Amino acid sequence: MTIVLQAEGLAKSYGRIVVVDDLSFEVARGECLGVIGPNGAGKTSLFNVLDGGVRADRGKIILNGEDVTHLPRHKRSHKGIARAYQVPQPFPDLTVFENVLVAASFAGRLHGHAAESAAWEVIHRVGLQERIRDLAGGLRLLDRKRLEVAKALAARPQLLLLDEVAGGLTEAEVNVLVDLVKSLKPDFGIIWIEHVAHALAATADRLMALHFGRKLIEGTPDAVLGSREVREIYLGIVDDAAA
Amino acid sequence: MAAVTTMLSRSPGRHHLLLMPAVLLVLALCAVAAPFVVGEGLLRLSSEILLIFAMAQMWNLLSGYAGLLSIGHQVFVGAGAYGMFALSIHAGVNPYVAIAFAPFVSGLLAALVAPILFRLRDAYFTIGMWVFSEIVTILVGKSNWLGGQNGLTLSALRDMDPDWISPISFWWAAFAAIGSLVLLAGLMRSRLGLALLAVRDNDVAASSLGIDVWRSRFIAFVISAAGTGLCGAIYFLGPAHILPAAGFDPNWVVIMLFICVVGGLGTIEGPIVGTIVYFGLRQAFATSGNWYLILMGSVAVVVMLVARKGLWGTLHARYGISLIPIRREPPSDKTFGI
Repeated sequence: MTIVLQAEGLAKSYGRIVVVDDLSFEVARGECLGVIGPNGAGKTSLFNVLDGGVRADRGKIILNGEDVTHLPRHKRSHKGIARAYQVPQPFPDLTVFENVLVAASFAGRLHGHAAESAAWEVIHRVGLQERIRDLAGGLRLLDRKRLEVAKALAARPQLLLLDEVAGGLTEAEVNVLVDLVKSLKPDFGIIWIEHVAHALAATADRLMALHFGRKLIEGTPDAVLGSREVREIYLGIVDDAAA
Repeated sequence: MAAVTTMLSRSPGRHHLLLMPAVLLVLALCAVAAPFVVGEGLLRLSSEILLIFAMAQMWNLLSGYAGLLSIGHQVFVGAGAYGMFALSIHAGVNPYVAIAFAPFVSGLLAALVAPILFRLRDAYFTIGMWVFSEIVTILVGKSNWLGGQNGLTLSALRDMDPDWISPISFWWAAFAAIGSLVLLAGLMRSRLGLALLAVRDNDVAASSLGIDVWRSRFIAFVISAAGTGLCGAIYFLGPAHILPAAGFDPNWVVIMLFICVVGGLGTIEGPIVGTIVYFGLRQAFATSGNWYLILMGSVAVVVMLVARKGLWGTLHARYGISLIPIRREPPSDKTFGI
């Protein structure tokens, strides 16, 4: 297995508030690492540190053996980190095609027809072909989430960061998305933050639970979701042995 | 530099502009012929219209396409004009030729101030631009080399044939106006154009998709300043005299803003409509004193309330018409054998 991402001792705090605390983990190609944790556990902050939105205070980020810790966000994108945001971030006054073309042209570093056909293919892959000429600002939520994934794919990444892409979707829509992510898995390393636990359990090879920015437990989905710590802190179930 | 060239290279768009070269050719021929056909007064007015249009288009590039709202653009009008005057007076360059250097003066000024101003975001940038413009105005007013409060006079022009001043001004103005159209249309179909549109819509998403937001804005800022400076230099060729209060008059940016807001910010056609409205109103109410200013303000307010995207922008949004299409069309399904 090729290791795509190695994070070593990552830390980030704002003043006295620690949002990422000494985190180390790895993701291999073809692997999906699920990240869970209560609100404020530092999940999105972790993504900000990984994609370069904010700089880590300490620690190292190694992408395909290359240290990218000190690169700005757009350069990390050139190196192969792509992110689908929790709240979709479309370019509202551009069409779906142009949105994906931006990703293929800049993050994907493609030119001319190569960029156009890459965008075209990705749009078909995520099922947005009917909307290809529509303005992104007018899309409904599922299509916005699809567009978010399409942009991340057109970036031709090594590492895909998915931030709660299933949030706010109906059961059927979540299943569509789970199938999509599963079909993507062989090509990338994926880190998926999600509150919808069954979506993660169905897709992730490993789960990592965060609490106050720190790693609580990491392991197979069954082991993590079944563990006492996660049940207490994340799911709010207190094992009352005395009762 | 190589990177800039790559960014300016043609985008994957596949719009055919078969009409555009023909239209441009006709416009250029008209411009060449105009001074021989049209009288002096009309020629001067035409020059002014063309220059104001080109300035509005440069302001549109920065505010409508790069998403940086500037209310200090008069600084580049003045910088270009003062640059031309100084070159002619202090270096003995022919004024008609010195005009060609004006964009470098205002462009350089923009490039130097960008690292400071770009630290400010949104409204802070807008105010920063205005403050910067005021600072430059005061400094120029205190500079003896630039004539201080008495300004500069383009004395070299006295030795030239007065019959040629208006035609040459007009040709320069026509060049600026047509050039601004070609530049904007070309830019928006290029890779840099796509980057700018993305940055304008969402700078966070743009940077996470590999766009160097700072550099894209920087290039747009410098181009906009350079174009505005060229227009400023051409404008002050006619009066052959410049004062700080005239070159750096905030009215410059008010006019650019009015034209873009009324016509449609972020569309190439909008400033054409806006310029027609502006000069139409100005000529119609030129004799009514201050009433025309009140009318201008009312028109701007009404347009903003009724048609927020401007006159052209609203037409475009409702009926999808565009004279100069810059949308990138997806490849047809046939290309892929489906």
